[in-house]
Amino acid sequence: MRDHERLPTADRRTVLRSLGRLIAADRRTFGAALVLYLAAAAAGAALPVMLGRIIDGIGEGWTLSDVDRLGFLIIAFVVVQLVLTRYGRLLAYRFGERAAADLRERFTSHVLRLPLGQIERAGSGDLTTRTTGDVAAAANLLRETGPQTAVALLQIIVVYATAFAVNPGLGALLFVSTPVLFFAGRRYLRVATPVFLAERAAMGDTAETLTATTAGAATVDAYRMGPERGEEGRRTAAVHFKRLMGILRMQSWFFPSLDFAILFPVGVVITVGSLWFLEGGPVTIGQVATVSMLALRLDPYVFGGMMSLNAFQEGGAALARIEGVSMVGDDRSRADAPGPEGVIMDEVVFGYGDGPDVLHGLSLEPGRGKRLVVVGPSGAGKSTIARLIAGIDRPRAGAVTVDGAPSADLELAALRKKVVLVTQEHYVFTASLRDNLRLADSAADDEDLARALRMVGADWAEGLAEGLDTMIGGEHRELSITEAQQLALARVILADPEVVILDEATAGIDPGSAGNVEASLAAALHGRTVIAIAHQLQAAEAADRIAVVQEGRIAEAGTHDQLLAAGGAYADLWRAWKGVAA
Amino acid sequence: MPTRPTGMIWWIVRPQLKRFVLGVLIFIGMSAVWMSLPAIVAEIIDSVTETRSLNEALPWLVALMACTVVGPLLFITGYRILFVAESRARVRIVELMSDHLERVGTGVRSKVSAGEMVNLSTDDNRKAAQLLFELGFGAFNAAAFGYGVFMLWRIDWFLGLATGVGMFLIGTCIGPVLERLHRRQTAYRAQTAEVTGQAADIAGGLRILRGIGGESQFERRYAEASLLLRDTGYRLGRADSWLRGIEGSLPFALAAAVTWLAARQAVQGNLTVGEVTAVFGYNMLLANFLGFVVGIAKNWIEAMVSARRLSSFFATRDPLPAEGAGIGRGALVDPLTGLVVEEGSGLTVVVSDDGDAAKAALARIAFRSDSEATWGETRLRDLDRGVIRDRVLLLEEDYLFRETLRGSLRADDDEAALTALRTASAEDVYTSLGSDLDAVVDDAGRNLSGGQRQRLRLARALAAEPEYLLAAEATSAVDAPTEARIAQGVSEARRGRTTVVISSSPLWLTRSDRVVWFDGGKVRAAGTVAELAENPEFRTLTSRAG
Repeated sequence: MRDHERLPTADRRTVLRSLGRLIAADRRTFGAALVLYLAAAAAGAALPVMLGRIIDGIGEGWTLSDVDRLGFLIIAFVVVQLVLTRYGRLLAYRFGERAAADLRERFTSHVLRLPLGQIERAGSGDLTTRTTGDVAAAANLLRETGPQTAVALLQIIVVYATAFAVNPGLGALLFVSTPVLFFAGRRYLRVATPVFLAERAAMGDTAETLTATTAGAATVDAYRMGPERGEEGRRTAAVHFKRLMGILRMQSWFFPSLDFAILFPVGVVITVGSLWFLEGGPVTIGQVATVSMLALRLDPYVFGGMMSLNAFQEGGAALARIEGVSMVGDDRSRADAPGPEGVIMDEVVFGYGDGPDVLHGLSLEPGRGKRLVVVGPSGAGKSTIARLIAGIDRPRAGAVTVDGAPSADLELAALRKKVVLVTQEHYVFTASLRDNLRLADSAADDEDLARALRMVGADWAEGLAEGLDTMIGGEHRELSITEAQQLALARVILADPEVVILDEATAGIDPGSAGNVEASLAAALHGRTVIAIAHQLQAAEAADRIAVVQEGRIAEAGTHDQLLAAGGAYADLWRAWKGVAA
Repeated sequence: MPTRPTGMIWWIVRPQLKRFVLGVLIFIGMSAVWMSLPAIVAEIIDSVTETRSLNEALPWLVALMACTVVGPLLFITGYRILFVAESRARVRIVELMSDHLERVGTGVRSKVSAGEMVNLSTDDNRKAAQLLFELGFGAFNAAAFGYGVFMLWRIDWFLGLATGVGMFLIGTCIGPVLERLHRRQTAYRAQTAEVTGQAADIAGGLRILRGIGGESQFERRYAEASLLLRDTGYRLGRADSWLRGIEGSLPFALAAAVTWLAARQAVQGNLTVGEVTAVFGYNMLLANFLGFVVGIAKNWIEAMVSARRLSSFFATRDPLPAEGAGIGRGALVDPLTGLVVEEGSGLTVVVSDDGDAAKAALARIAFRSDSEATWGETRLRDLDRGVIRDRVLLLEEDYLFRETLRGSLRADDDEAALTALRTASAEDVYTSLGSDLDAVVDDAGRNLSGGQRQRLRLARALAAEPEYLLAAEATSAVDAPTEARIAQGVSEARRGRTTVVISSSPLWLTRSDRVVWFDGGKVRAAGTVAELAENPEFRTLTSRAG
């Protein structure tokens, strides 16, 4: 099996540009949320300031009515803060939800436009991780951690600004522990990501182990593997525990540093402030109280901000992988191929990635409207021929053309009217039976769909309680391998292309019904070119032509009788097949 | 095993009880340190304003600095203890899940989907175990609250009362908001799962969407689900933003009100300015902590949901009866179809017009499903299941776990492993992995081709050397010459034992000692190939390409 080639990842600039675009698309909401948050933070900071005023006022001989006036004012500020916070958060949510929706819909559009070859090469794992995990992490960044970090930052800025406004000298003292915050924060950011990633990976291993044990429960039972699978689960749990302790080791220095950085300025402000006050400096005792209380107020925001930094980084990395998908461009430029030639492979040389050649100057011409069967041992390059004709891969040398145009250059809309490839891997979408079929022909009505199902012998479909509306796939009605294959073939009938490539497409159908399906498929595809690839020989005898592929070359070609008479590779295969001792 | 969420939680907490109590005690000590801060600040301010010197404030300054050091140290000590308790609980849940799978894996298989299994072992596990932490923090906050109200009471009983009642009112105010939030969150999560599911579906079937069409259809469907999620998010935002507003403002409103009352007392000369500062300080710290309490309440709700899901996982039972004790002798018989497999009868080939019916019959005589099938005179369910598993092996779409090739084959020694690979014509599996028995086969055999996986499964079954090997799926994905080699190798290697293969391939039939013909889900005839081949219907079924 070939190694998968990962999809690209966007660089920092592209990620920032994409964030910028999301903000620009909804800049009013974004701006309004920002202003509301700032105002709310300012209203919240009014509280300690007014405490200072009261303390100093008492020293200056305030009356009850002075205190009451200020008391009303404070309460009013708090109510204002409540309203501002509520609407600020609401707008931030709206912005985040809209941006997340934009992002995932745009991403899905990109995914649905990925080139065929890229999809094949990337494998489904990478793409699935991006469409599920990464999209969720980026959405979380936009609607949760983003606003939280922003709020924490704004609060911290407002607290510092307020302290300065109250008394610049005392305000400056709040910075005594900034170096601690800075260095601790920087070190944490540097070491935290791999530590958290290692923990996540260990948790993933545990999940994979337990999921595999469940998926293979019958095998575990059959081979009595219970104890060893249990042992494997316990082993991954032990590794996970170690990784968790790695997080704890890191937090063991980080948290006390943060705590200390928050508490230390309180003592400094009080000591220095009091000395200053006693020496007759430009400071009141109320201001000392205010600034020390402001310092305490920093606690939840510094902690919250530092804790969300991690999620922030993760969201950024997810965004880079999401944007990476949009960097894959399509290299198809031919809108149509009008020629009458049909499929032609001419002196084709091909190999995967940097690997050795798999096809060595192979030529093949099925002939328009004819039925060609390609046979040969496993690994001879039969499926590679299918991929080349279907335009998934591009030859290293030579040409693969459909009606005169290279199939790898034809735009997909045009290509799929010409060629459809059906493999032995049949995917059933978690959707209604109708949606599963109509993707091949959006104009088809129920009668067309029912006819296509009948043609491939899918009698089970008529017995469904909800007919074409029956949900299949996923947690709904599970299709057997045979049923899924029939569904795939029904799609081909609906798509009605000029060339159909069947790569082991009927491999899992019962021998009793496989013949019927083949026959009805042949009837449905009458007048179309059919290229059937098989390592077994069911269909060979009735084909217009047979090509035997061996080691990336056409070993021989001709009709069944011609090839038997020639006594070459095909005749050997045929004897083996018929069970005549080789 | 506990079946109720509360029982489940107690069951998680119990083994960590000592650790948990120690952590909580340290956190309570820490709350005293934190709540002393306003009192110390008040003492300093009062002594500075009254004595106009720093001398009397000196001990308080030292105390303040001591708190700056002791507070963080106490916190991290308590934090570490609770973190370890939580981590141990998480590990324990995974261990018990492993044990449970070891016992009743097949029962879980039919009840719990793969996605669900991932959630149970990651998210639900974490949320349930996190309770240890949340309870610890909850104790910290409760202690801080009690301590704060007590200190306020000492300054002025009315201020203490006002703070206590105020905090209680805020709590009752937040309760209903939290409940509504929880409902919205559940809806949001359900819709997120829907959108994620659709995205995974698109990624999974992408080659079909790109190869045949339907991009716009699936794009539209996704966009609809995505917009629905956005609107659900808006509704969640409406509830959550109120909570944020309330938890960020109401406690401060209370702080303002109580400080106001204190200031009025101070103007009348009943309180010092230091005491006013202390009143403010207590209230502000309590306001900060209230935010944590809301977080704890949220997590508590989630933990209960997760605990419920975990307890239903542990409630799954083995679908097969487990009381049997005897040891079987003689033929395996499936009365439902009339299938009889004699002991030591060599290679039997089952030819069937309907593969599923024949597979189901093999599953019954292999005791994969409960039925009236017997081994000799005794019903399988009355026999010792371990002995059945050791002697009767059903080969189907078996799972390949992530382990070395040697481990996958489970042979007694390397020689036996290589022989099994040879008999199954699976030498290419060995060579494609670098001719190394220590090379790793990926989960579900993902680093092998479909044909390779099938032959490796066959090799594993051969290496197990069961008395009865029932192969439901043996060579459907291999080419004719390979199939011929496998048929020859298997019939020779298993001479004298019993092997059943479902196939209509002449390559198997020519090697068979006996053929069983299934028609319409029942055994229609049995005998040698030559005997059965006299029937034209049978010939049609087995002759290929005419």
